[in-house]
Amino acid sequence: MTRTPFLPRRSLLASTAALLAAPSIVRAQGKEPLKIGSALPLTGSQAGYGNDFATGWRQAVADVNAAGGILGRQIELITLDTQAEPQLGINAANRFIGVEKLPMFYTAWSAVVKAQAPIANREKVLMINDGANSPEIATLGDYVYTAFPLAEVDITKLARYVFTTLGKKTAAVLYINNDTGIDAAKLYRDTFIAAGGKIVAFEAYDPKATEFTGMLLKTRAANPEIVHVHGLTADTPQVIAQMRQLGMTQRITSYSAAYNPKLVQQLGPAAEGIIVTSLAPGVNDNPNVGKFLDRWKAEQGRVPNGLPYVQYQYDMVYLTKALYEYVDKKGQVATGDTLREALLTIGTFDLPMTGQMVLDGHRVNKPVYLLTVEKGAFVPLATL
Amino acid sequence: MFEPIILAQILWTGIATAAPFVLLTVGFALTLKVTGLWNFAQSGQMAIAFYTMFYALNGLGLPLFAAVALGVVFTAGAAYLIEVCGLQVLRDRQSGNLTFFIFTLILSEFIIYVITLVFGTEPETLYRSILSPIDIVGGIAISDWDKTGIGMTAIGLIALYVFMRYSKEGQFLTAVADNARLAELYGISARRAYRVVAIVAALFIVAAMYLIGSHGWIVPNSPLELVLSAVIGTLLGGIGRVFAAAWASIFLALIQSFSILFIGSRWQNLLLYGFLFATIILFPRGVRMPRFRWAR
Amino acid sequence: MDYPITIAISIAIYTILAASYNLVLGYGGLSTVAHPIFFAVGAYTAGLMAVDFPEIPAFVNVIAGMGTAVVVSVLLAGSSLRVSGDYLLIASLGFQLGLLQLIKNLEFTGGPGGLSAIPSTLVGPMRGPAFLAICGAAAVACVFVVRAIVNGPYGRAISAMRDEELAFTALGRNAMSMKIAIFAIGCGMAGGAGGLYAYYFQYVSPDQFDVLASAAILTMVVLGGMGTVYGPVVGAVLLLAIPQAITFLQLPPSIMAPMQGIIFTLLVLAFLFLRPAGILGTKGRPI
Repeated sequence: MTRTPFLPRRSLLASTAALLAAPSIVRAQGKEPLKIGSALPLTGSQAGYGNDFATGWRQAVADVNAAGGILGRQIELITLDTQAEPQLGINAANRFIGVEKLPMFYTAWSAVVKAQAPIANREKVLMINDGANSPEIATLGDYVYTAFPLAEVDITKLARYVFTTLGKKTAAVLYINNDTGIDAAKLYRDTFIAAGGKIVAFEAYDPKATEFTGMLLKTRAANPEIVHVHGLTADTPQVIAQMRQLGMTQRITSYSAAYNPKLVQQLGPAAEGIIVTSLAPGVNDNPNVGKFLDRWKAEQGRVPNGLPYVQYQYDMVYLTKALYEYVDKKGQVATGDTLREALLTIGTFDLPMTGQMVLDGHRVNKPVYLLTVEKGAFVPLATL
Repeated sequence: MFEPIILAQILWTGIATAAPFVLLTVGFALTLKVTGLWNFAQSGQMAIAFYTMFYALNGLGLPLFAAVALGVVFTAGAAYLIEVCGLQVLRDRQSGNLTFFIFTLILSEFIIYVITLVFGTEPETLYRSILSPIDIVGGIAISDWDKTGIGMTAIGLIALYVFMRYSKEGQFLTAVADNARLAELYGISARRAYRVVAIVAALFIVAAMYLIGSHGWIVPNSPLELVLSAVIGTLLGGIGRVFAAAWASIFLALIQSFSILFIGSRWQNLLLYGFLFATIILFPRGVRMPRFRWAR
Repeated sequence: MDYPITIAISIAIYTILAASYNLVLGYGGLSTVAHPIFFAVGAYTAGLMAVDFPEIPAFVNVIAGMGTAVVVSVLLAGSSLRVSGDYLLIASLGFQLGLLQLIKNLEFTGGPGGLSAIPSTLVGPMRGPAFLAICGAAAVACVFVVRAIVNGPYGRAISAMRDEELAFTALGRNAMSMKIAIFAIGCGMAGGAGGLYAYYFQYVSPDQFDVLASAAILTMVVLGGMGTVYGPVVGAVLLLAIPQAITFLQLPPSIMAPMQGIIFTLLVLAFLFLRPAGILGTKGRPI
């Protein structure tokens, strides 16, 4: 991809001296924009999230550029549409690498990440996941890393919390029959059982289903103390709505996809008591978040879809900045290998919206914030 | 799990949920009966129906009856245009089955892409809330939506029956369905019949989309799935037998609903397709379908 | 470098799909829409064998993919080719969707998440060009096989069967076995394309083989000219290259994706009405 230039040691020392002596010359020369690539669903059924993610990126790029950019270079953001589809994800990855010549790019949505992984590994380009949570992502290859905590982080903590703190001994798990649901549901089940609880119903539903009566009646008959619903933004409210309509009054837990104001709006009083996880600090945990929300309300007139995810998108620009600065400090050219080494060496990053990110091999560990719906609004419940 | 109350609940909710699909199947089967055409363009009409009502309710803030009226106007209008400018042209050219299939399918895709351009791809519901008030009757949860759905379907079926049996227009439709050439000899215009059935089907489509859209989410691509269930019901009921198709729809929905007692919910779709496939294979209609003589 | 090569490889693979579909549909007159499922069968077979039995060489797995596709096609054909016309259409649709559901619900296929991490057979910078050569050669071979079948005496028999089946049978020819043969050949080729796909992209997802894929292949065939040998090639090139070209126009993405769809469906509709024989078709040939 990019060749490390061959320089005899003497001229290397000489040029380094020259560089250090004349930083302004370097600044003036490094004016061509620094491109960052982000693959997102800008159309398709996930576009509601994807577009807000892209807005978060643009806001961060604007902020960093206003403060001088990365290494004096203005950032040029390149977003490519994946529609959350693997095939388009592959095209996007090839575009980033082959056309834009990027040494690294960001991506999200588990199916897309999995499809792009072989390309990143083959081309030795650093690929960072910033929104998908399939546990498989940790094993996709040497050049595939995640900045977003994978399912085992929040789901396991949630399952344990439900058993130990909430004291529920029996639980039901209802999950969407795709990547997102299957892995997470198994995690919840295994953790809950390991903690000492019992899973009395474990049902998958088709992603295109709109009617869940049979499944819910089966669940109702099993009489769980609590129900965990693991779906996507469109189906989760329907499952919950039909649950309530069938007379199931149990408390419901879900994950970050349910942390969505539209859900409360669609469900009304049926949403009371729902517990969701968030992998990003809230307004009370991090002062930047409040300002971020105000900015959204001023610029877009509403709060973002999937606020915690958007916080991560924002922070990715800062992560990139840290990596490029490290590589530059070492006098290297930014390639997949050097950036990857930077990522592993630095290991701990302080990011403005999501707090500290600690890399753990191909995983990251973050605190999990639990929220619950009270009087029609999400309020913090606990931090794990 | 096999207690009467639970079975009764599954029965009730199964029938209620089947209601909109019965409507779609009836529209589709009726069109097939009269025109001999598997009209996949109806999935485009479903998209038009939903998004017109959606825009009227949420974008324009119109009251319900106005939104539905607008939906009827646009959907029936589209159906009429498709019939006159598209299907009749192909008929005049004596085009084969495949051409009709390609035309109707691609036209639907075209309509859906245009709608995607205008409305985007976020899942939408007609109303902000998808919950509907519930009464508990004898231990069974009965929602207002259930009642609306079953009521609308019953009225629709009865109205259709009366229309087909007792009204002139309806009788003409039956005549054309049986033998278009012969009907022409009696002064019944086949073309007119095709247009009338296009509009009647549109009414059923609007009713169905109202029900579906107030109960769950729709994306522009959803109608492509919905038309499949109409096809399956039509096949199972038998070509030319509209009311049998309606019963078949209910039967299929109940099979799916009750199957939950024995298999995991994620296998329900497979059951449906398996049924479809088995039906066609086990009920072979001979090597050739009777070719309908097009009346010009 | 990889970007145009990937597009070219996709074109080659879809040329095989379009040409083989044309054999079945345009020449054989068998209105099925299940072509993508044989693509899927080939891809999954080759992919699964590559993952589970890494010692077996790649071309054997691709052949195995073709073989499995042929077997599945004979199953479908044997049971449903007795019915014809619209019934076959719907039966094939049901078969395709049913089999896809099955794939999504089985664990060993990777479930709905798809089959990932298919091992790479060729490595190094020449991987792209090497694959392009292989897929290109396969595409050329496929088109020539179709041409040979169609232009020879067998081809005349096929036309006779398609256009006047009753007379054909009355003359003592066996329409059923001919239909099954054509179907098997066409679907086998699709299976081979699937094997190649699995090895190049190293990831197979069930969602890429649904009704929209059927419509795409159908569009390629119709646009290029159904019942012509080179028409599907033209269709494949157009349908794959033009959307990529449009993405370089820097349109806002919310407009771009539906715009591509609108352009293509309008093209097909226009052709259907103005030039039903397609780009390469001869005017007046009825379909």
